Formats: sequence, structure tokens, C-alpha cells
Amino acid sequence: MKAPRIFLGLFACLVAWAAAPALAHKASDSYLVLQVKGQEVAGQWDIALRDIDFAVGLDANGDGDITWGEVKARHADIATWALGRLKLARGGDCSLQVAEHLVDEHTDGAYAVLRLTGNCPSRTQDLALDYRLLFDIDQLHRGLVRLELDGVPHASVLGPTSGALNLKAGETSRLAQFGQYLVEGVWHIWIGFDHILFLLSLLLPAVLVHEARRWTGVRSFRAALVEVLWVVTAFTVAHSITLSLAAMQVIELPSRLVESAIAASVVLAAANNLWPVVERRRWLVAFGFGLIHGFGFASVLAELGLPADALVLSLLGFNVGVELGQLAIVASFLPVAFLLRSTPLYRRGIFVGGSALTLLVSLVWLAERAFDLKLISA
Amino acid sequence: MRPGDPTARELAGLRAAVARAAGDDPLPATELAGRYFELAMARGDPRYIGYADAVMSPFAGSRAAAVLAIRGKLRQYRHDFEGALADFAGALEADPQFAAAHAWRGAIHLVRADYAAARTECDALLALDRPTLHGGCTGLLLAYSGRMEAGYAALQRALDGTREADNRLWLLTRLGEVAAWRGQPEAAERHFRAALALGIEDGYLIAAWSDFLLDQQRPAEVVKALAGWEASDGLLLRLAIAGTALKLPAAKAQVQALADRFAAAKARGDTTHRAEEARFQLHLAGNAPAALAVAAINYREQREPRDARVLLEAAVAAKDAGAAQPVLDWLKASGFEDARLRQLGAMSAQAGSVASAPPPGKPEARP
Repeated sequence: MKAPRIFLGLFACLVAWAAAPALAHKASDSYLVLQVKGQEVAGQWDIALRDIDFAVGLDANGDGDITWGEVKARHADIATWALGRLKLARGGDCSLQVAEHLVDEHTDGAYAVLRLTGNCPSRTQDLALDYRLLFDIDQLHRGLVRLELDGVPHASVLGPTSGALNLKAGETSRLAQFGQYLVEGVWHIWIGFDHILFLLSLLLPAVLVHEARRWTGVRSFRAALVEVLWVVTAFTVAHSITLSLAAMQVIELPSRLVESAIAASVVLAAANNLWPVVERRRWLVAFGFGLIHGFGFASVLAELGLPADALVLSLLGFNVGVELGQLAIVASFLPVAFLLRSTPLYRRGIFVGGSALTLLVSLVWLAERAFDLKLISA
Repeated sequence: MRPGDPTARELAGLRAAVARAAGDDPLPATELAGRYFELAMARGDPRYIGYADAVMSPFAGSRAAAVLAIRGKLRQYRHDFEGALADFAGALEADPQFAAAHAWRGAIHLVRADYAAARTECDALLALDRPTLHGGCTGLLLAYSGRMEAGYAALQRALDGTREADNRLWLLTRLGEVAAWRGQPEAAERHFRAALALGIEDGYLIAAWSDFLLDQQRPAEVVKALAGWEASDGLLLRLAIAGTALKLPAAKAQVQALADRFAAAKARGDTTHRAEEARFQLHLAGNAPAALAVAAINYREQREPRDARVLLEAAVAAKDAGAAQPVLDWLKASGFEDARLRQLGAMSAQAGSVASAPPPGKPEARP
């Protein structure tokens, strides 16, 4: 179809379809384009002037031609007539108004163009459309509907026996949205070295036992696993709480404070490995600092932008992504650490050396973030 | 349509009668719907079909002959041939003397190339002592089924027997077509001109006359004959073919307008213009495979000589002998005598060895 040429009816134009032989004789169609996004409805409805004339009578002076003036004088009637034959419902009837009246040319002549706006009670429920235009007087009339529901396009041809349209609130789009945020979550934990280092600092001693000022390997894998699960679960629960609170804008903290606190959490966790203060109940540490890390995740999510109509779902997706990323780290760390736990390589090299390196790096981060400097990290 | 013109006044009167009847009496609605149907046919304007449908919709349960008959006509317009045949059969149940229902059934059977069934309807018209309708029915049946001369004579006899202008218009148009198939352009032209001289608006006549002129290499006269008829898709098609042959500047816009209109019809799911669309794809868009696809689907539904011809032409142009097989079967079974079709059939049988179909309006070597 040719792109519609819209011309504003500022000048009095003669819409003389009856006298213009170059226009097609075709069965009657109207073209309804709607975008429903959450509660908001916007769209455009092209209805042939010839059809409007047949239904409500436009030719005021009876000369067989319809002028812009004649159309303009009946704008209110046209809007009432048309909107009375279109119902949109999403959790109840949506309001619909004609925001603007224009005129356009199609292959079979001039069309009134109604620019529509509206509001629905629900922003997430399924959408129902009931189309009744002209069917009472022209059974060959068809409504050619192109509807975008929360970004998912649908197209339909509506006739007298098929005037109703029911659209599921975009399940596909929701799933896609969930998946998209899940991937973001995984990605963020993988590139978020501060989170990884914090977690590793807490996990490194999980395969060891500090007894009589000496580190020795745990006896059973089970004991190590339980320790790891406590730490990871506590960290997860904590950062989920603050991530959700921040994403829903219940609590907002300045990002410099949050980032500095995260760096400090890594410093303390690494230092605790070298000079043990907290030896038991490391999960409490994980929980406490997890609260801080949650605010860090939230700032990433804020940069991504959360869709208002799928906030909870996206949040959940992001969170699940973060957990999956975390689990991948734990799953690759724990078996190796357990196998190496009694070797000097692990105890001196990885545990002590790693913690020392982590401490150093996190101290630099802390300095950078607290004093807004650029030292090593990007 | 100007409000002052007689048609507008007549329609207003009929609508008022429908309103007064308030759904109790189907007769005023039937009259209004019949008038809408005539307007749709005369002007090639399908909106009137939709209006007629809506006027008749309160009487969907009626078994009255007149109601069923108008419904049958509206259904055949939409190519719902089975439904139309059933409606006309119902009309005959209610009124066995209803000759027009037999005539419509005969016409539908002819369109579908079911000549045995058509013969039954033609015989019924004879039994009802309706010589004009019988002559038209039999004349076409004979012409389509390989007895062109006898068919021509039957149509001529029917014409001689009627003074009614609408009947004469129809018979003269068909005589023109049959004469052209028989290779008698002078006789054909005489019939077409006599039909035009009746001064009755008729889209079918104009289309048949234009096709004849195109076949006779007279595109300039097509342009003249079709002035003011661009609103009808079928007639704009002929105008664009003529304009393209003459290299008229307007032709380009007409071809674009046709493309837009076929796209618009497709968007609404309309499939009643496939024969025209095939001609458009073949002769104006130069897309033989698309033409062949549309022509083949059309031929499953409509099997008149013009439908056979566009399928053959498309098959030859696309070098696809197999696609033309249904037409070759029909030519063989019916013995249809048009030399042009027989030659196209021979060409399509030589799969792959044919360079291209003869362009419209170019003379073809007669065997």
C-alpha cells in the first residue's frame, strides 16, 4: 500500500471523490492503527469520507461533493459515531478520544483521519477490541487493524462475524524481557570484579579450618559445601533485598558511598583471611555486606532502565541472572579448592597470596572511589 | 452520485420503504438490495454489494423466493458459487416458475465449466417457455462447449425475439464475444456497437469491448472508450494495457494505481479479482511466475474462456507446461473453437521451447 499522504486541512480543500474518476471503486475498508503500551493508548483511524457520508450524512448543501468545511462542521458527530463503534478493554473499558482530525488520500478517495488517544485501567492484562464500524449498513466493510500491544505487533482483518479481537498481554515479549534481564544479571556478576573478589574472599577459607592459630583443610566436602551454601545464600538474600528496595526507589543511596562501601567490604573480607577476626558465622558478614552490594547491582539496573510495565519481572530476571553467575563461580571454585585445600600451594599461594592481592587491589579501589581518583581500574 | 439525480432519489425512496417496513416485510428490502446489486454491476462498485448484504441481513432466515434469489446473486458476486447455487435452488423450491433462478444457476455452471449441469438449467428455461433466457443460456452453453456456430445462431434468435433493452444489451455483448472467438471481427464490432448504442451503463460490456479492441490492435480506441471508467479495477486494467501499448505518459501512474489497488484488496483478504490480477502481473508488471500462480488459483474457481486464456498466456510466458494442463484438458473435452486459445494451447504444450507469450495486442500467426 502506498504511504498515506497526510495533509492538514488548514486550507479549504474540496474532497470531491464523486467527481474524481481516478479513484478506485473498492469495497469499504477502514485502517485502524493502535499502540497500546501499558495503560496508554495512541493511534490513528482512517475512515473513508464516502462511508462516513453514507452513515451520518456529510454533504450539508446537497451538491454531491464533500468539502473540508462540511467535514469540519461535523467533527464532533464523526468522533461520536466512530468511537461509539470501537471498544477497547484492558482490565475494564479504556477511554478513547479523538485528539486531532485530519484528511488523507487512499486509493479509493479521501479519508477522515482520527488521531486517537486513550487510557486503560490496567497496564498488564490482556486486551480486548470490539469493532462494529459500518457493519450494520455495509456487510462487506472490513476493519484492517494493526495493533501493537506492549511492543508486540498484531494484524487482523475484522468483519461482521469477526469484529472482536482478544490479545494476550505479550507473553512472548515478557519472556524475552525476562531473558534479557537475566543475561544482564549474569553479565554483570562476571564483569563485576568487586563482587567476585568479595565472594571469593569469603569462600577461600570455606575449605579450611582455623585451629590453634593454624589453617588446616576441612575433613569432609560436605562441611565445605555447607559453609559455602550459608555464605552464598546469605549474600544472595541480602543483596536481593537492597536491590529490590533500590530498584523500586524505596531507598536511594549516593553511588559514590555505595561503591566505596563495596570496596571496603572487599578490604575487610580479605583482611579477615590474613588476620582472622571473624572465623565462624562468616555468613553474617556475607549478609551484612551483601546489603551494600545490592545497592551496587541496583545502580547497574538503573542504567539499563527498568520497563515500568514489567518492573518486578525484569528485577527478578536480573536477580536470577546474578545468582546464576554466582553459582557458576562457586561451582568451578569449590571442587578445585577442596582438592587443593591441604597443599601448600592452596594455603600459602592461593589463600594467603590471593587474599593479600585482593586486599591490595581493594584498597586501591577504596582510595579511588572514596576520593574520586583514577589509579588502576578502568 | 448527485442527490438530484434520479438514481439517488430512487434509492432514497426505496430506503424509506425499507424503514417503514421495519423488518416485517422483506419485499422493500429485496427491492433496495436488487437496485444496489444492479448499481454494483453497472459501475463496478463493490460497496453497493456490502450495502445490499446489510439490507438483507435481517431476513437471513427467510425462505421466500425473492429473498433467496437476491442472496444468491450477492453470493455469486463474492464467488461463493456453492452457496449461490443452494440459494437459487431454494428459490425454485419456493417458486418453481422462477425462471431467473434457473438462468442464474445456468450462468454459474457455465462459469465453472460444468456443461451438463448448465444444460439442465437451460432445458428448464425452455420448459418454462422463456425463449429469451433459454436462448441466452443455450447459446453460451453451445459456444463454450465446442459448437460455436450453433451457439451464435441461438443467441441471434434470442436477440431477434426480444425488444427488452437489458436483454438485448446482454445478448449483443455475448454475440460480440462469440463472433470475435469465431474470427469474425466485423460482426463482433457490429454487435458491440449496437450494444453500446443502447446507452445503458454496463461495466461488463465496456470490458468486453475493450478486450476486443486490444485484440484488434486498436489501443487508442480503448483509451477513448474507457474515459471516465478508471474507478473500476477491471477497466483501469484495460486502460493501462492500452496506455502502455501507446506509451502514454498517464500509463505509468495507472499501473502504479493498479498495484496499489491489488495491494489494498489483498490487505482486506479480497480474492475476487484474481483473473484481473493475473493479467496485471503478466502484461503490466512483467512477472510471469506471479501471474501464473494467480491465474492457476483463479482457474480452480472460474473456468470461462477468459480465465483459460490468461492461464495459458501465463504458462507460456513462465515456460511451465504443467500449469496449463487444466486448460488443455478443458480445450480437449469441450472442443472450444477459439483459434487464439488453440494456438496458445499448442504453444504451452511445447514446454521450454517457447521464448515468451505474445504480448497483448500483437497479432499472432494463425495456424
